[in-house]
Amino acid sequence: MSDEESEQRGQRTSDVPVDLTRERETFVRQFLRKGVELTETVLEENKTLHDKLNAAQREIAMLRAQVASDDAIRDLLKKIESLETERNKLLEKSTELEETTRQKETRNVEVEQELHDLANLYIASSHLHSTLSVRGVVKHLKELLQQLVGAEIYAIYLMDGDGTAAKPLACDGVELSALSPVIKGEGVVGEVMMTGIPKVSERWDEGGTLEAPLAAVPIMVRDQAVGVIAVATVFEQKERWAAVDHELFKLLGSHAATALIAANLYADADGALVALSGVAGHLTQPPSS
Amino acid sequence: MADFSCLVVEDSPMMRQLLVFALARIKKIAVTEAEDGVDALRKLANTRFDLVVTDINMPIMDGLKLVKRIRSDETHKDVPIIIITTEGSTEDRQRAMALGANAYITKPIQAPQVIAKVKELLKL
Repeated sequence: MSDEESEQRGQRTSDVPVDLTRERETFVRQFLRKGVELTETVLEENKTLHDKLNAAQREIAMLRAQVASDDAIRDLLKKIESLETERNKLLEKSTELEETTRQKETRNVEVEQELHDLANLYIASSHLHSTLSVRGVVKHLKELLQQLVGAEIYAIYLMDGDGTAAKPLACDGVELSALSPVIKGEGVVGEVMMTGIPKVSERWDEGGTLEAPLAAVPIMVRDQAVGVIAVATVFEQKERWAAVDHELFKLLGSHAATALIAANLYADADGALVALSGVAGHLTQPPSS
Repeated sequence: MADFSCLVVEDSPMMRQLLVFALARIKKIAVTEAEDGVDALRKLANTRFDLVVTDINMPIMDGLKLVKRIRSDETHKDVPIIIITTEGSTEDRQRAMALGANAYITKPIQAPQVIAKVKELLKL
């Protein structure tokens, strides 16, 4: 700017009335103040907005974390549910297995008992026929009754020649000489001898006698009763007849006579060869009824 | 090869066979039979047994004497003994238990009962 121009401008300024100058200055000042105020307001609002933005961002982050946490919880709940289902299935399986084990154990006990019963029958049968001496057969009969059945007081009666009465052959718990013959059809024992039907009482509390025994078992040869085993009492630890006792009675009833007959015939024969003589001849004859 | 050996002492061949049948149900157990107490002592002198099952009423030497002899023997004093009695509750059983028997079984014997007692004493 040249000096001339500056002078012209200064001249013009000085030409403006004082009031206007003041007014202009006031206006400028106000304008500037307002500008400052506005700037301050804008800065303040900016700061507020900035704070709100930060808060909003924090909230968003928090919400995101919350959502993530909710998802995790949902997953965990699902997992828990599936584990609960699995656990219930396992519990069911465990209960089934326990039941199966229980059934197997029960079956095992039953099988053991059946084996024991079969062993009893096998031993009874094999020992009964293991001797050809009458004394031996009677000894085994007594042993079977005592050891396997648990008979305490008992008697074995065998029919006499005419078949009307049975004489005591052996006994335990009483003197043999004290026993009377049993008349066919008389009393419980006589009735069993007549009918060939065994009588086995389950009324343990009443006990038994040789006249009215707990068990009266006919000794059979085919369909004919040739004697009776009468069990008056059993050992006190025996609480009831076991299933095998009934089987033993059947076995004794059907095998005792054949064992006694064989032993008796053998006793009369002069040795095994004599006793066996004529065996082959019986095979050529028609079977007897 | 058996893990355990058992001596069965019983004069009745029938009962002995029944006991052997019952004990045969237990795996890994070898059974030796003796007819009476003296026969049992003879077998005990040569062999070490893990268990003795003995009847009470036997000829020559009964079960009570056998229990007494076993308990006084340094080699066999700790061997478990099961006695077999005919009666349910007689003094024989009490005497045998007092002499050192570990358990008793009453006749007529039941195999499952014998097996259970043997397993219990042998900790099977």
